[in-house]
Amino acid sequence: MLSSIIQISLGAILINNFIFSQFLGCCPFLGCSNKVDTAVGMGLAVVFVMGLASAICWVINEYILVALHLEFLQTLAFILVIAALVQFVEMFLKKMVPSLYSALGIFLPLITTNCAVLGVVLLNVQNNYNFIESLVYGITGGIGFLLAIVLFASVRERVEFADYPECFKGFSICLVSAALVALAFMGFSGMAIPV
Amino acid sequence: MNKIIRLALVLFAVSAIVAGVLGVVNALTAPVIDAQKQAKTAAAFASILEAERYDEIDFSNPDFPTVLTVHKAGDAGYVVTSKFSGAQGNITMAVGVDNDFKCTGISIIEHAETSGLGANAASTGDVGVNFREQFVGQDESIALSNNGGSIDALTGATITSRAITEAVATSIWAVESLG
Amino acid sequence: MNRKKQFTEGLVTNNPVLVQQIGMCATMAITTTLFNGVGMGLSVLIILTCCNVVISAIRKMIPGEIRLAIFVVVIAGFVTIVDMLLKAFVPALSEALGVFIPLIVVNCIIIGRAEAFCQKMPVKDSFFDGIFQGIGYTVVLIAMCVVRELLGAGRFGGGLIDVSNGFRFTLDGTGAGIQIFPESYGASIMSLPFGGFLTLGFLIAAMQYALKKSEEKKTKKAEQEKEAEK
Repeated sequence: MLSSIIQISLGAILINNFIFSQFLGCCPFLGCSNKVDTAVGMGLAVVFVMGLASAICWVINEYILVALHLEFLQTLAFILVIAALVQFVEMFLKKMVPSLYSALGIFLPLITTNCAVLGVVLLNVQNNYNFIESLVYGITGGIGFLLAIVLFASVRERVEFADYPECFKGFSICLVSAALVALAFMGFSGMAIPV
Repeated sequence: MNKIIRLALVLFAVSAIVAGVLGVVNALTAPVIDAQKQAKTAAAFASILEAERYDEIDFSNPDFPTVLTVHKAGDAGYVVTSKFSGAQGNITMAVGVDNDFKCTGISIIEHAETSGLGANAASTGDVGVNFREQFVGQDESIALSNNGGSIDALTGATITSRAITEAVATSIWAVESLG
Repeated sequence: MNRKKQFTEGLVTNNPVLVQQIGMCATMAITTTLFNGVGMGLSVLIILTCCNVVISAIRKMIPGEIRLAIFVVVIAGFVTIVDMLLKAFVPALSEALGVFIPLIVVNCIIIGRAEAFCQKMPVKDSFFDGIFQGIGYTVVLIAMCVVRELLGAGRFGGGLIDVSNGFRFTLDGTGAGIQIFPESYGASIMSLPFGGFLTLGFLIAAMQYALKKSEEKKTKKAEQEKEAEK
């Protein structure tokens, strides 16, 4: 059990990083990475929602959809759960933990359309993870996202002062820098994890 | 309050209609999808170890956590399916094992390996066919050529090739454990 | 509404990927063979057109407060239908695209068009908007595939074209494509994530360059006309 958890965690954070090897969550990754502060906020919000969504969707899938043979409604049910969850977390934080809300608040609505969140839930089902494994995969996948976006934001802050052809301005130079960071992450892809 | 109820009703109605439509489409496509899957597994089995029929036998040995099923392929031997981790995700593979505990062929049923690299293990092109043919006739001492064996890896990094080679050895051991 | 203008918008001036910069995950993830690219592009085109039509048709009945939730339900419905149809009739494609088919639900292109266009426009315009934006998306995917496949594996049209027995299209993803130079000479890194980011980065740069050039031409022409008037 422990070894499978370590395997899942290392895989989600480094080897199969959600952004650099699975391309999940690229839109917020590119959209919210112009400052390190924003990147940290977005990353933390994603860790939070991915962990919660993995846990709740696992329960719904196991005890409602699979039990009633309604597996074909998975995509529909999951996206509704995620949307409702994000809304609920937003209301909860606003009332109970205003300091955290002011830090994460503006990122929460964006997370509904973050494909890393729906992606992690669908992958949990595809990989037949049990409850603990799903939860771990959700949280560590989020941590992988956090790591990637913070690293990349630091790179971007420097790229701003670099001298590059004008037509590369904006998203274009961003993608080229992201390619180089992805290249660095490829170094992890050979890492073997003993089972 | 009335407004909230009205909103909830509208959303519920839309969801119910969508779910109903999906139910109909599912009822129409589910048998086709099932047939596709069965045909695929049958074709995979037949390509590695031909037999009149394949009977699933009970196999639950805790020493072999990666083995999914073992089928007895008539008198020809066994077909073992296993699921193990490759370079990118899990690989599901069927391995044929004859009565002398030699591999009769491998067939990759599902994988998520890197396109152009590890994914070639499953490709129908020359690279894939040649790679898979190397496994025919191998016994439990199978190893990559880097490690003194005779299997040439697909790529320099050898992650996918190593995982597949190990899984073939595991499948042979699983059949040997049947006695 | 001017169809021709709508067409150029979808394809060039308001291209979903190159200009609006949305829906990028799948654009980078699955564009390793032409088969994947064309399959994904057409799936999005069909889903986008259907969603546009339905949302536009029911736009007057949707209460504003929960419109996003309703859009999402409609989109998820069509995505699941396409997913099931692909699984049943084009299993090779469904396998190659994997989780990226259900993930079309959160592809910003579709919800973006619903929010920005269909909730105000009549059905006919929304229909053409779906088709043109879908074509714009597909063209970008195809461009990505062609570049990455050629540089990565020295091939064109992998999975979709078979030339072993004369030229033909293979719709089950088994065609080997046209080998332009030996696969072992290819830079296989182009088919890895690195290549995805890099190719899209250069495509957007090329697009920005072209748009700027045409803009300059226009202003120059306008200035010349002004001079001539004087």
